[in-house]
Amino acid sequence: MSHEGHYREAHPLIFVFTHWINLLCMIGLAFTGFYIHYPFFAGFMNGARTIHFTLMFILLINLTSRVILAFWVKDANQLGSKAVDTDLKNWLPQEENKHQFMETVKYYLFFRNTRVISAKYGALQKIAYLATVPIILYMAYTGFALYTPAQSWGIWPFFAAGVSFFGGAMGIRIAHYFGMWVVILFTMVHAYLAAIDGFKPLWGLIFLWRES
Amino acid sequence: MAQEVRGEFYDLLAARGVTRRDFMKFCGSVAAVIGLSEVYAPQIASAIAAGTLQPALWLAHGLCTGCTESMAQIGVPDVPTIVLDLLSVNYWETVMAAAGTQAEDNITATVDKGGYIVIVEGSVMTGQGGNVLRIAGKPGVDELKEVCSKAKAVIAVGSCAVDGGWVAGDPNPAKATGVQAYLAQNGIKTPVVNLPTCPVNPEWVVSVLVDYLLVGALPPLNEFNEPKSLYSETIHDNCPRRGHFENGEFVQFGSADQTAQEAAGFCLYQMGCKGPQTKTTCPLVRWNRRVSWCVESGSPCIGCGTADPLKGGPGNWVDAGTPFLSRLADTRLPGIGGVQPSTIGAVVGGVAAAGLVVHGVVSASKGRIKGVPQESEKKFDSKNKSSEGGDK
Repeated sequence: MSHEGHYREAHPLIFVFTHWINLLCMIGLAFTGFYIHYPFFAGFMNGARTIHFTLMFILLINLTSRVILAFWVKDANQLGSKAVDTDLKNWLPQEENKHQFMETVKYYLFFRNTRVISAKYGALQKIAYLATVPIILYMAYTGFALYTPAQSWGIWPFFAAGVSFFGGAMGIRIAHYFGMWVVILFTMVHAYLAAIDGFKPLWGLIFLWRES
Repeated sequence: MAQEVRGEFYDLLAARGVTRRDFMKFCGSVAAVIGLSEVYAPQIASAIAAGTLQPALWLAHGLCTGCTESMAQIGVPDVPTIVLDLLSVNYWETVMAAAGTQAEDNITATVDKGGYIVIVEGSVMTGQGGNVLRIAGKPGVDELKEVCSKAKAVIAVGSCAVDGGWVAGDPNPAKATGVQAYLAQNGIKTPVVNLPTCPVNPEWVVSVLVDYLLVGALPPLNEFNEPKSLYSETIHDNCPRRGHFENGEFVQFGSADQTAQEAAGFCLYQMGCKGPQTKTTCPLVRWNRRVSWCVESGSPCIGCGTADPLKGGPGNWVDAGTPFLSRLADTRLPGIGGVQPSTIGAVVGGVAAAGLVVHGVVSASKGRIKGVPQESEKKFDSKNKSSEGGDK
């Protein structure tokens, strides 16, 4: 038994680009973030901070573009199909698959052996992808709250509320730090599942836009 | 105004070894600290020289007397001492000569007369019904409530008076809290000015007092009731070591180059400096007769100027700043205690990575990597086919 076919209709070229941008930003943000947290070699602090802020702006622009594109780019919503529909349907959990959620959990915990019928993205997968939006916004909010500690900016009260919510400047620093681990865990699981579920056709398509 | 008063005042200063020139220089620096141009120095001099004695009470609660010690470091003889003499401080437990009933009578007399201000040093000890700290045979909080409710203003000096400070650190057995929070809980509406740091910087106390004597009102305050002019910019932004931070030049604790790095005045960020998140004017005003301050003398900032007076708890700088030599505070896990967030992150990441490896091995053994057949029908549908017609 082989894996389902992966067609260009499932991942249009524009989303190959947005996915690349996400990946490169995440790697850059995590590396410079770790450096800003604890500078493990000398001479890079100014560069690390500049890169960190720049990449976050790029990531936010990319996220905004990706969300807007989801409303009008058409791509395949079903596994192994070339029939296209609005991309947004890939994001939102479907009513017809709500009973497949627990079955998917059981499958990944080896309590069942046949794959679960689902759309292009499984029930768990949809929730995980949808969650990336609030996670990125959360990282942006906590990050900017750390970036604007002087009260001279007019926008400060918007962030001061968050600083107070997390119990002060140290609290929001730790919240931002743990948020990065959530992103890292997501990326680990995401890459792992994409690797065991047909590494060659899937990665070839999403990174090189190559059908196999 | 009041030329003759001014003359007497300068005689008084001269008797203390302070020249008129010294005094005017001091007034200029006070102007700078309270955010005025130096052209206001003569007005400040007049306000101080002609000021009627402002009655004041300096209350001692859960304290180490460090703030009083700090006040003593404004120089001997130095002008601020004279300025403080212009206040009629009727009670200051640590330094006054009076004792016992005679001393306590001073409080009663001042409160009865009214028109006084209160300076509180030390945390409010509410534990055991206030009996953790008893003053003059009564719970200390009783004295605080009575004195503060009738005062024109309260100045909380030092972190302990602001939000409980060290005394309120986890697990806070004395149930210590700050003055502003305690007064708010008891419906006392007297305005409170908070001056955190441990100990308080005497220059700031003087600036608030002069501001009060000069304009008859408290200075503009931020959301934490701290004077805006003193608590709006981070230590990091005004730090003399800031250039080394930007260049990525850090003092590395325990490295072979540590001595050379310290000698070069490198940034103390890696040693857990809390300067980037602490808002005070320490780098500008400095301490001990403006000689030096923590970071300049080689110690990372421990964040003692951080306060969220009405919130307390995890906002307290002692809980949020320890361990002082670490970049982040410990996260307190139930049953385990304080753990560094980086340790938690590494453990969670490691466990997740190990879990994925195990999952991968099991998946491979079950042939999933090559591909697994899909179910022919949803389980829910096959179960409910006869009764409900299946899933949509």
